[in-house]
Amino acid sequence: MIYLDNSATTRVCAEAVERMDRCMREGYFNPSALYGPSLEVKEEMRKIREKIALLVHCSGGRTIFVSGGTEADNLAVLGLTASFRDGRILYSAGEHPAVKEACKAVKGLAAEEIPYDGHGMVDLERLEKMLGDDVRLIAVMQVNNESGAVQPLSEIGRLKERLCPRAFFHVDGVQGFLRIPADMKAWHADSYALSAHKIRGPKGCGALVVSSGTRLAPRMLGGGQEGTIRSGTENTPGILGMGAAIDAWPGADGLREMKEALFRGLKESVPSVEVNGPDPMGPDSAPHILNVSLEPVRSETMLHALEGCGILIGIGSACASNKQRVSEGLRAMGISRPRAESALRFSLGPDNRPEEMAETVRRVREQYDFLSPYTRR
Amino acid sequence: MQKLLLVRYGEIYLKGQNRPYFLKTLVSRVREAVRDIGGNVWLHDARIFVSGVEDMDECIRRVRRVFGVHSVCPALALEKDDFDLLLCTAAEMMEGLEGTFKVEARRSDKHYFLDSPAINARVGEYVLENSCGRLKVDVKKPEHVLSVEIRDKAYLYSRVIPAVGGMPVGTGGRAALLLSGGIDSPVAGYMIAKRGVELVAVHYYSFPYTGPQARQKVLDLAQILSGYTCGMRVYVVPFTRIQMEIHAKCPDDYTTLIMRRYMMRIAEIIARREGAMALVTGESIGQVASQTMEALNATDQVVDMPVFRPVIGFDKIDIIREAEEIGTYETSCLPYEDCCTVFTPRHPATRPKMEKILAGEELLAQEELIEEAVREAEVIDL
Repeated sequence: MIYLDNSATTRVCAEAVERMDRCMREGYFNPSALYGPSLEVKEEMRKIREKIALLVHCSGGRTIFVSGGTEADNLAVLGLTASFRDGRILYSAGEHPAVKEACKAVKGLAAEEIPYDGHGMVDLERLEKMLGDDVRLIAVMQVNNESGAVQPLSEIGRLKERLCPRAFFHVDGVQGFLRIPADMKAWHADSYALSAHKIRGPKGCGALVVSSGTRLAPRMLGGGQEGTIRSGTENTPGILGMGAAIDAWPGADGLREMKEALFRGLKESVPSVEVNGPDPMGPDSAPHILNVSLEPVRSETMLHALEGCGILIGIGSACASNKQRVSEGLRAMGISRPRAESALRFSLGPDNRPEEMAETVRRVREQYDFLSPYTRR
Repeated sequence: MQKLLLVRYGEIYLKGQNRPYFLKTLVSRVREAVRDIGGNVWLHDARIFVSGVEDMDECIRRVRRVFGVHSVCPALALEKDDFDLLLCTAAEMMEGLEGTFKVEARRSDKHYFLDSPAINARVGEYVLENSCGRLKVDVKKPEHVLSVEIRDKAYLYSRVIPAVGGMPVGTGGRAALLLSGGIDSPVAGYMIAKRGVELVAVHYYSFPYTGPQARQKVLDLAQILSGYTCGMRVYVVPFTRIQMEIHAKCPDDYTTLIMRRYMMRIAEIIARREGAMALVTGESIGQVASQTMEALNATDQVVDMPVFRPVIGFDKIDIIREAEEIGTYETSCLPYEDCCTVFTPRHPATRPKMEKILAGEELLAQEELIEEAVREAEVIDL
């Protein structure tokens, strides 16, 4: 099987499995307990907190362990805005629902969408016009989960510092963490969300990194764990597994080379291929996500056809009801309906091998040739 | 004293000499329904009883949906000779109720020391005296009825819970249901099964145009139906090649109709193999282009067995209501489509001409296509 849906989730790496297994069998102690063995667990958690904060350039900041990307985003959006009674929240058009829905749920504050340009990048000119004193929070993702567009976070941070320095800036790093560098300091970001299962760690675990001095209201009340921000006994196997996955992430993961080879191959095989997002060969495109449309073959048909050949991919347009609904991320880029209904998302991980790209290209071409004559007339 | 469920059946009463056969089947169906919650089921004196179940609510929920059951009554059984105990139990049962009531005694044990009117009077009086004025007697239009049945024991009950009705599955033969992932076909299957008919489901699968989730959705629907029918066999028939051939060779406006005819032909072959004597579909007149009178005629002509369409006269809203009632609606509404829109013509013929249909079908290797589809069909027993 060739797995090319790593933006949906990844296979847990052996190191993380081993670490979790050991934690559950031997290091199962409650980190809040007072005896020695629980202190060992606590110490390991501290090291992972520091490692994560260091990786995202947030020295002096806090790493709060949570249940995953959705909780991290919710905690950031709701926790940072809890003390405001009025004002605006700005979020980018292709944000994950975990951010969008949380922004819309904040009482008393108006939530506004920051438009994308045709390549799925935040439109900086329009953002500049939207910024003002009454902006309380800006939420922009590091990498768009559908198009792979790497958002211009440094530019956004600079704009924020100039036009609304008191606003908070939250970055959803779920699709970017480890795959491209993160720098909260350069971005002037206050919080950064990440998820373990996107980086070969376990599901049900993630973290929110919060810059030093940023006050966050708790969303989960109880025993006061995680510095009173997130009560509940810590998911120690998940956290240690996440730590192991971070350690095991290869220095040279080869993602960009493989993605470029995949794109070149697809372009040669199906010349009419259209890219949904930034130029896959350019710096604005994440190393591991390629979103293309192969009209007139519909996304789901190609997905299942490739599944039949042992290749698993994602699609850009998910049907949410009996009617096919075009994905919001693609719609925000101004992509036409037929093109969005043919969108395919290939997302790579360090477990992929270059020869898998060649096989995928061969199969896509074969299935495209077979299926493209059978289209709605 | 024993808590039990008294199960009453409806239409089977009307049966003559073969009533024992229907009853025996019904008892087995009730037994299957409560088997894994430890229910004891027996037939006595024209009543079916279920005892030994701890969770009476779950027992009621299950028995109510057994086809052939008219109503169920949670009852108490006690020794009939201890009349004082009977009186106390009756008063306890009516405790907390307000308004009007009557006692309805029935005595199949004709040697009992009181006759029915006397039981009515004695029990009614006792309940009235112990109700602290909250209850009044009204024998014409009472709000509550306390039933007392004197059989091998005395049975008391005050709640009659209506059940699904129909006939026990297995007493009405077997039919093949064309099951899609939509709202209508599960309802059609349910209605036919309710008349005691065993079902075999036939589903057409268009991989890669539809995926494993669409297939699973259909199996989930079949699973829900099988709760009523005590199991079901499902044929998943690969249909992509047929659809592609039709799409490539036949006139656009006739593709849906020709496809429907292929579905009927294949279903008939499977039906005969399974000993089924009819086909069941979820069609309703005029709902879509393939369900006009002309189109229904054209699909009927390819098979040599009756085609039952129980929702033929239903509005969509009525079908939806029924689907909600039987618990298939939510699953039917899951987004995975069963028949890909790629193969739906923009303007299907609503008044098809037979010569055009036949001319289109001439272009296809019919026998080979059908034979292959039947041969490759996957059989799943639920």
